[in-house]
Amino acid sequence: MSTRNESGLGTRDVVMIALFAAIIVTLGLVPPVSIGVVPVPITLQTLGVMLAGAALGPVRGALSCALVALLTLIGLPVLSGGRGGVGVFLGPTGGYVVGWILGALVTGLLVKHWVLRLRGRGAQIAGYITACVVGGILVVYLIGIPWLWLASGLTLGKAFVGGLVFVPGDLVKAVVAGLVVHGVRRAYPIPVK
Amino acid sequence: MNLSLYVRGNTPLHRLPASVKFGVLFASGIALFLTDRVLVLGPAAAVGAGLLLSVRPPATALRRQLTGLLITLAVIFAAAALFEGVHTAFVVLFRLLALLLLALAVTFSTRAADLLEFFERLTAPLARLGVANPAKISLGVSLVLRFVPEVHRGYLEIREAQAARGLRANPAALVVPLIVRTLKSADAIADAIDARCYPPPHPTGRETTP
Amino acid sequence: MTGAAQPPAPTVAPVLELDGVHVSYDDRPVLTDVTVRLTERRIGVIGPNGSGKSTFARLLNGLVVPGRGTVRVAGLDTAEHPREVRSKVGFVFQNPDNQIVFPIVAEDLAFGVKNLGVPKAAIPGRVADALAEFGIGHLAERQSHLLSGGEKQLVALAAVMVMRPELVVFDEPTTLLDLRNRNLIRDTIGRMAQAAVVVTHDLDLLDGFDRVLVVHEGRVACDADPATAVAWYREHCS
Repeated sequence: MSTRNESGLGTRDVVMIALFAAIIVTLGLVPPVSIGVVPVPITLQTLGVMLAGAALGPVRGALSCALVALLTLIGLPVLSGGRGGVGVFLGPTGGYVVGWILGALVTGLLVKHWVLRLRGRGAQIAGYITACVVGGILVVYLIGIPWLWLASGLTLGKAFVGGLVFVPGDLVKAVVAGLVVHGVRRAYPIPVK
Repeated sequence: MNLSLYVRGNTPLHRLPASVKFGVLFASGIALFLTDRVLVLGPAAAVGAGLLLSVRPPATALRRQLTGLLITLAVIFAAAALFEGVHTAFVVLFRLLALLLLALAVTFSTRAADLLEFFERLTAPLARLGVANPAKISLGVSLVLRFVPEVHRGYLEIREAQAARGLRANPAALVVPLIVRTLKSADAIADAIDARCYPPPHPTGRETTP
Repeated sequence: MTGAAQPPAPTVAPVLELDGVHVSYDDRPVLTDVTVRLTERRIGVIGPNGSGKSTFARLLNGLVVPGRGTVRVAGLDTAEHPREVRSKVGFVFQNPDNQIVFPIVAEDLAFGVKNLGVPKAAIPGRVADALAEFGIGHLAERQSHLLSGGEKQLVALAAVMVMRPELVVFDEPTTLLDLRNRNLIRDTIGRMAQAAVVVTHDLDLLDGFDRVLVVHEGRVACDADPATAVAWYREHCS
């Protein structure tokens, strides 16, 4: 924190951004996990994306996701299922990866300016979950679905319906993410940035 | 985890510079959307497949990258055929196939370091404006590659410890300690980087050496 | 390191001056009014856990700057010239896992040299020399996370020495090591041409040292030759 430089991000911030990107990549490597209420196992990678904004804050969270996107672009198999390469961005689902960056930013902004001011455990957890739903689902789909439409040539309406099949799983992840961030903040409070 | 999708080789595509490959890929991306003719797009997809095979990717890597892709394409093909007709479905299918197979050929035949250098040159104007800092970006990339295996090992250890205590896999119980433990090592890693005189005195006066 | 080469000629230790140094974290004092002047080539720092000795080590390369007082290395104030100070003072951390920050061994060594502003063309040669010096040339292209514990420690050491520091600070370098790797560190410290400051719980490491400080409750409680300092430490801190 004593090392300051032009963009306002010190060595410690760069390290945190990279470590969180490593967490996102790792969560993509591990096999999907089943949760009691949902029949289908969920992949944990997008959970990591929601967590990035909520745990690190808007700037560092977004940069973590941007770093994962950059690694994907230069051909590293960092997405769940070992996918990677420039083709990801040219394909129908590329918008989601780009959407992660903005999604983490929005989640982080909501946490920084709203959730951290809430009082009480229940209110805070509900706040984290809301931040993850808005940033991690709404914003991500806002970019992902038009991208699906453009890349696939489907009409926007059908692309929209097609994109929605993942919403139930994502809602579950937002709830898990809310609980996780609350747990992380209690065990190791770091300032959001 | 394998650190890169790059496939060692000395095929014509391997020998082309990253900038040329990306230029061609970009131009194809535009050109393929300018036509709706199956008679053009079909052969384009065949060319894409040919180029992909020309870099001699190992079967396992090929299967891994193509499986998900082909499933997505099949879904899109079916949806398009159902709602917009078989012709449109083929247009969409061949167009995406051509583009994505070509992209995969580029990915398989280009070193990550070369791509990174190419993007650094591409973003050099941003760097001069102070928006991006190439030294920090490449440090970030290296750190992710260095610490993914460590974070993964941490994940396995936590899962094992919880299984030993008879806990069922619960994502929250797994991920909280993983994040706390990882972020706690950030201070030590940042100290180690600063102790070795980071950042360098002048922001990367990089000469282009191959 | 396997060859019978003569050890390199000892270099002159840069003078370390701490003057009225206070350090506190969140209002909790860690070091209180520390004033010492160190000129010896082998200096040990011992003390109980939480005594402030790790902070003492971090003062010497500007990773920690004093809240009050000054730290000077070869006349340079660490708060004002952290880069110059760090180019003179190498730092070996307790856990090599956190010290190796690049995925490939040779890249990790190159990182520090690059940060010194050494021309790009000269870097590979220097990296190769440093690896050879520690007998680990064969590890150059290996992935860092696949190294054994001892190999990691050697790589971390080589990554510091490749920067050709005038002084090397070791922060509990043997705490996490098995006996063989501990001896490796001991031999490295014994053979080094550079001056060394070694913070440790491993009292045997201090044999033949020129001077040993005991840090206790944030102060330098004893400052003497190894035998005297260790005796004082055993009497007062156990």
